[in-house]
Amino acid sequence: MNPALPFAQAIAVRGDRILGVGTVEDLAQWGDHELSEQFNDHVLMPGFVEAHTHVMAGAVWEFPYVGFYDRADPTGRTWLGCQTIASVVDRLAECERDLNDPDQTLVAWGLDPIFLKGERLVAKHLDQISTTRPIFVFHASGHLATVNSEMMRRSGIDRYTPTPGVAKDADGEPNGELQEPAAMSLAQDGFAAIGVAMMSPNAKWNYAREARNCGVTTIADLGTTRLAMEGQLEAWRQATDDPSYPARVVVAVGHSDFGSENQDSNPMVSLAVRLRDEEETAKLRFGIVKLVLDGSIQGFTARISWPHYVNPPPGHPGNGLWLIPPEQLADIVSSYHEAGLTVHCHCNGDEAAQVFIDAVETALQRHPRWDHRHTVQHCQLTTTAQYKKMAALGMNANIFSNHIFHWGDQHASITVGEERAARMDACATAQREGVKFSVHSDAPITPMGHLHTAWCAVNRLTASGRVLGPEERISVAEALEACTLGAAYQLRLDHDIGSLEAGKLADFAVLEKDPFEVSPEELKDIPVWGTVVGGTAHVAGSK
Amino acid sequence: MQPSEGLMEVSVIGGYLGAGKTTLVNHILRQASERVAVMVNDFGEINIDQSLIDSRSENTISLTNGCICCSLVDGFVSALESVTSFRPKPTRLVIEASGVADPGAVAAYGHGPGLALDAVVVVTDAFRLCEQIADPLIGQTVVSQIGAADVIVLNKIDLADNLTAVKTELAKLNPDALLAYASHAEVNLDLFFGREIVRTSDPTSHVGKFESRTHESSQPIPRAALEALVENLPPEIQRVKGIIRLAEAPHVAMVFQLVGRNWELRALADRNNSPDGNRLVVIGPKGSVPMEWDNALRSGK
Repeated sequence: MNPALPFAQAIAVRGDRILGVGTVEDLAQWGDHELSEQFNDHVLMPGFVEAHTHVMAGAVWEFPYVGFYDRADPTGRTWLGCQTIASVVDRLAECERDLNDPDQTLVAWGLDPIFLKGERLVAKHLDQISTTRPIFVFHASGHLATVNSEMMRRSGIDRYTPTPGVAKDADGEPNGELQEPAAMSLAQDGFAAIGVAMMSPNAKWNYAREARNCGVTTIADLGTTRLAMEGQLEAWRQATDDPSYPARVVVAVGHSDFGSENQDSNPMVSLAVRLRDEEETAKLRFGIVKLVLDGSIQGFTARISWPHYVNPPPGHPGNGLWLIPPEQLADIVSSYHEAGLTVHCHCNGDEAAQVFIDAVETALQRHPRWDHRHTVQHCQLTTTAQYKKMAALGMNANIFSNHIFHWGDQHASITVGEERAARMDACATAQREGVKFSVHSDAPITPMGHLHTAWCAVNRLTASGRVLGPEERISVAEALEACTLGAAYQLRLDHDIGSLEAGKLADFAVLEKDPFEVSPEELKDIPVWGTVVGGTAHVAGSK
Repeated sequence: MQPSEGLMEVSVIGGYLGAGKTTLVNHILRQASERVAVMVNDFGEINIDQSLIDSRSENTISLTNGCICCSLVDGFVSALESVTSFRPKPTRLVIEASGVADPGAVAAYGHGPGLALDAVVVVTDAFRLCEQIADPLIGQTVVSQIGAADVIVLNKIDLADNLTAVKTELAKLNPDALLAYASHAEVNLDLFFGREIVRTSDPTSHVGKFESRTHESSQPIPRAALEALVENLPPEIQRVKGIIRLAEAPHVAMVFQLVGRNWELRALADRNNSPDGNRLVVIGPKGSVPMEWDNALRSGK
């Protein structure tokens, strides 16, 4: 991805950095060397940079997977999708037999009832697995859980439970489905499990293993880790300081992460500045702040401009939710902006994007600053006019291209309608209007994998196989640049990573085939050997 | 009154940014006559006289009047756990929702173990309300919040020059909620702490002459009989609350709540602390509280 030298024969590494790129003869000018032929039959490209994921991507693998699609775990084992209720029950029964402590709650994740034909999975199905062990199944959406009767018994959930979200059958008995956090939290042992897992060292390792398996050498954990909480920084340091930890991690400070009260102003500013100035190491980076402004499009909670949603569920209020009061955003953005931090703001809807763009403009008027790289995250419905404005203000986009494949059909028919679905996740518009951009998976919301995400941006094929918005397709070269330099730029790391050139860190994705040799439709199917991070090779699928 | 020994009543305070939620929390901390625990997003906004502070730790401030202030640093569920484990146990939990939150969704937590949801109080800015409702960005958020209220505190009435329009708007958005008028969020706490009631019609009389009567009986009451009692309630009665047992499910203690014209019946979450029999408090203007409830409850008819 170095425009001055897009293709080369060999690469020389000294320590953790690239000494040079070129022919073996060119590189011999650096003197004595050892020639490795390990990757003679592979293709090295700049390590992929995934600028929007969450450490939950590692934490979920503490629990068995019962989702619809096949999914590979961090050790490289593929969990076959559970495509019927019977297969969900079989999978869980198998896992139940492996648990020694009869009191331990069986927690599973990834259930997506939209895809399961016929009746809905409820407690009576889970009771086939055990009537004495509590069972808690998280749905893929993160908004729901289904539990068995024993879990309800232990949690005191019965026909008289008044909490909204405890779903009940026609006779008034709870059916095991718990909707939204207040109801899920009643089943405390299960609900708390993923939060606990997220803080564990193993989750941090599995997160990096998952990255390694798909050629990603730098991952951003966007506002998930509560860095103000004691021990969390140390836990990241301990993991990333280990030479065998297979990724660099950018841990973004989450704005909603409240700090100590003994501050005159926004306490997260000083935390983010201190982390950036004092705590960075080669494999642990800071300097990014994450804000969340609206909800999701498929959940009908994104703030989208008129004419809003085309086919919302009954009782929907018409538009989505704000997670930050819109008139407060300029002050919040300004506080980070003035401290020299880079703000990445979750905006799925175009109305949310507009509020963020306006807030950045206000911050710039108050405190002129060049090269801030403030980034619209998800950026799904951002319009051409907004991209022009973002270019004028020096803003970046990180586009949620995986939505085209995963929910594109639903966006066309249910959420925003054909016309706006065709221009969603508009990489070609960003490119044309001169906005620097990247693409992302938001793992674990969709599986991490930049070859797949690039494939989405290049082909725009939905799950049903239609091309959604052919005008917004980009070339393979443009997509791969978005997945490397584009992401490195918005994380403020493009001086160190994102391309293969002398002086940069020796981070490579090691592929079995050349992405420029295969057809664009086959991009996602290229096998990944693994990665090289700072000159150290990490083979995919290993422990 | 407390529904039962050891149970914490929950009030949720919602309302849009700038309406005066934190001012109300400060007012509650100063005026409370019971042990109140408040959960707030940000300690920085809480304005407590240093002389009132008994002790403080990273996430909690204990006041000399027995109240406790707890921050949401470590998340909602964990703050809830720490509040419920305080000893001596607070009798009331006040949760300050964020300025864009749906207070109804926060109130869903008020049914958890050891808790009994009392009321959702939504603070509104009388000066800016009409403008906010018409705002294309925040209008829907403000309207949804008002819709979730049991009690609406119409704050900053000293600044508002269009009070009639504001009242009309609120009556349209949530005709069932109680309306209390305030400036600087100074409202009679008994309003939403369930002791007395402020009438909705007259903004000048903040506290009218009210009486409350407690009705007690031991026999479970048939649901139909209860519905008939509510049906025949004089219109002046604005608040009834307490714990009863239904003849249809006598082993479960139920919390009965009537605010305005809305009423609900739900199981008491804390089974270990449920009292026997029926105990209802009826509150209304003097002379309006019926005597015959005692008999009706007792006979179960």
